[in-house]
Amino acid sequence: MGETAPETDARRLAEDARDRVRFEEEALELADQVYRVARRMVSSREEAEDLMQETYARAFRSWRSFQPGTNLRAWLLRILTNLNIDRGRRVQRAPDMQPLEEGDYFLYNKLEESTQAPNPDEERVIERLSQDDAVSALSAVPHDFRDAIVLVDIGDFSYNDAAQILDIPVGTVMSRLHRGRRILKRELAERAVADGGDVT
Amino acid sequence: MSGFAIDPCDQCEELLQPFLDRDLSEEERMIAEDHLTGCEYCRKRYRFEEQLRRFVRQAVVEPMSPELKTKLAELRTPLI
Repeated sequence: MGETAPETDARRLAEDARDRVRFEEEALELADQVYRVARRMVSSREEAEDLMQETYARAFRSWRSFQPGTNLRAWLLRILTNLNIDRGRRVQRAPDMQPLEEGDYFLYNKLEESTQAPNPDEERVIERLSQDDAVSALSAVPHDFRDAIVLVDIGDFSYNDAAQILDIPVGTVMSRLHRGRRILKRELAERAVADGGDVT
Repeated sequence: MSGFAIDPCDQCEELLQPFLDRDLSEEERMIAEDHLTGCEYCRKRYRFEEQLRRFVRQAVVEPMSPELKTKLAELRTPLI
């Protein structure tokens, strides 16, 4: 213990700087994955880019509140979700109580109907969907449901992580995911059938 | 659905999402698997759902622009 107080301070500062640099590097390495989710949580690329910059600015400022060893990607998306809410982009509520008649086979049945070949295989059926259909159908799903789909199905988060990011119970994540996927399929069916034209 | 008995295909349709999410009880999973073994109609729809998830996942990805990447890196705390 021959270290003097200034030496201890200097060492502490150096360790702090090293931890911060490591944190920033790790956060930046995750940027592509965070963006993938962010882009589909908002409606335009510009909004997603603004939100990413605000998120990273805040994350770099408050890096000490991140607990090493926990999920950094989820932590970043929690910040992003809060910022998105703060900016008033999420004021309208999803029409939660609207009845949804369509079940999980609805999209397949619609696509199969509009396929010329009798009893087509699934590959032929899925070919009726375009990338544009997928993007526009997803953006038509109400926010609350879309967030669950984007986090779990696009972002690969567990139900638990999604629940923490969205600050809702796990059961709510599951029910929104379930219903959201059905809404997505209904939206896809509308687009694909409209594109196809030959449906009776 | 008609009558009082549950149509097995309707039941299988209800189990589709939790089945693919591996979120079924052992008993429910067996019900789904038993039905799928003998029902081409439901099998096709299950296989389609798997492919659909992959398709949507790939279709909606929009890569981040290099400009944004640079901007994020510039937000780092400057080293003194």
